[in-house]
Amino acid sequence: MSDMAVPGGRAVWRGRPDAGQVATSAAPDIRRMLQLALAGVWLLDGVLQYQSFMFTKAFGQMLAATAPGNPGVIARPINWDARLIEHHVVVLNAIFATIQLLLGLGIACRPTVRAALGASIAWALAVWWFGEGLGGVLNGTASPVSGAPGAVILYALLAVLLWPTDRGATPVPFTAARAVGVQAARALWLVLWLSQAYFALLPANRAPQALNGMIGGMASGEPSWLAALDRNAAALTSHQGLAASIVLAIAFAAIAVGVYLPAPAARAAVVLAIVVAAVIWVVGQAFGGILAGGATDPNSGLLLILLALAYWPSRTGAVPRQSLAGHPAEGIPT
Amino acid sequence: MTIPAWILDIFAAVMLVVAAVSAARLVAARPWRRGRGAATADIDVAHLLMAIAMAGTLAASLRTLPNDAWDVIFAAATAWFAYHVARDARRVGIRALSGGHCAPHLVHSAAMLYMFVAVTAPAASAGSAMSGMAGSGMQTLRLPIVAFLFALVLIGYTIWDLDQLSGPGASGHYSLAARIAPAGAVAPALAGAESPAAAFSGLTSAGSPTSAGSTVATVPPPAEADQTAPRDPYPVSSGAGRLVLAPWVATSCRIAMGITMALMLIIMI
Repeated sequence: MSDMAVPGGRAVWRGRPDAGQVATSAAPDIRRMLQLALAGVWLLDGVLQYQSFMFTKAFGQMLAATAPGNPGVIARPINWDARLIEHHVVVLNAIFATIQLLLGLGIACRPTVRAALGASIAWALAVWWFGEGLGGVLNGTASPVSGAPGAVILYALLAVLLWPTDRGATPVPFTAARAVGVQAARALWLVLWLSQAYFALLPANRAPQALNGMIGGMASGEPSWLAALDRNAAALTSHQGLAASIVLAIAFAAIAVGVYLPAPAARAAVVLAIVVAAVIWVVGQAFGGILAGGATDPNSGLLLILLALAYWPSRTGAVPRQSLAGHPAEGIPT
Repeated sequence: MTIPAWILDIFAAVMLVVAAVSAARLVAARPWRRGRGAATADIDVAHLLMAIAMAGTLAASLRTLPNDAWDVIFAAATAWFAYHVARDARRVGIRALSGGHCAPHLVHSAAMLYMFVAVTAPAASAGSAMSGMAGSGMQTLRLPIVAFLFALVLIGYTIWDLDQLSGPGASGHYSLAARIAPAGAVAPALAGAESPAAAFSGLTSAGSPTSAGSTVATVPPPAEADQTAPRDPYPVSSGAGRLVLAPWVATSCRIAMGITMALMLIIMI
């Protein structure tokens, strides 16, 4: 198999039309790659929603459990929604799963990327309220280790930051700034990570055994190696809740201000964000509980990693339409 | 309570459609004539077998072969595509995994093999593992982390396929233009090639820069081109035959199978 040039600068691969060949298709830009990663997470979400557990009344009860502690105006719709789902769990859950599947496919399909991202924002906000009780933000139980401020709100944030538009033609310092501008993107990052620092210091999270209980509780139902990892991590944090909370809060604060620093320091802050998010995802969230069955999503750790990648310092900007494989008229901004 | 049977039946029906399309592609391509169809026969056969196996797993009434037979079939398919991926890797390196077209089939075959080998039968119905998921919600897979990793890779390939299928920079296997216009007219035009054989050989992004910033544009000697060009690139003359042989059809089948396979892996964790 070899490649050959043809008139018009087009390159073709010789050999089998669909097998045994390597196509060097247009390498998507970073934003498109992150959009595809987001699409993959939505697709995974949809597949998880088809699990047998979701077709039982336990699904409605799980949603109802997010209501207590929230203000009445927030809690009442959650309870109503949970009752509705308990009564029609099969049909409604099948619809929910299909919607999430379609959101993933829609983001992956270029002509529908805008519509799918827009729909994903609306869907994520609805799930954040009706499915996650606003991530426990208002009832004092939010913990960055367990997924605060709610994994699904991070889907919406990513959709906004990865929106296929460019504010201005000049290169921006990181991908997330392309759609909303540098200042707005930095402000969103600051708010997110400072809120994580705040949640880490909440009384419920700085109690001596808070982190120990949270991590230890994830071991149930997990494969033996992951359960052992969780148990060991829990043992390390036994009676160290306050110290662990302070360390986490300092790390989150450093990450938050990192994007305002010069590129090398900003890069270090993003690396720290990725490392902290990865540790939280594996140890604190056990991959969202997927391996134990019954997970509704991969939880926040994976989304935080994607978000951090969108803030990786690199001069980036609008992709000239001419660069899209020499098809100026076909350029679909992604 | 398990997953409602009607949901699994829908996915099983999709797999039957994939099986029918793959069978139609095999018939239309007439691989025994050593034309273009011979070059893609392995993929169509793999799609056909996987779709039948998955349909039988999703709906017990569609079960065809015993598990042991599927073990052997998918072990052979895995070995076959592994050989092709290794051969591609020797030629182009890691790109054989990211841009090659045997790598996804290798993952699909290996995932099927894993599913049939790693499934644990419910205690009450030992011996009937993988004979339909409805009503057998206790079916699980050993080494769930492997199932999770397979599901992630399958989702990754599915997303990538869909992006390439709908992208303006993509062509050849993924070309939407090839879907819209008659294949015989579009393939050479897309490639700007001098012959249908060259066009049908599969295009890369037209003039697009590679990740290294250079463009793949090496002209082989005419003699080599003659030797490697299929002798009979258009064995089918009918419009239906051309439609079913369009590259986007095979890619669409792969997308449908990727989603269904990921679903099966996740719900059996």
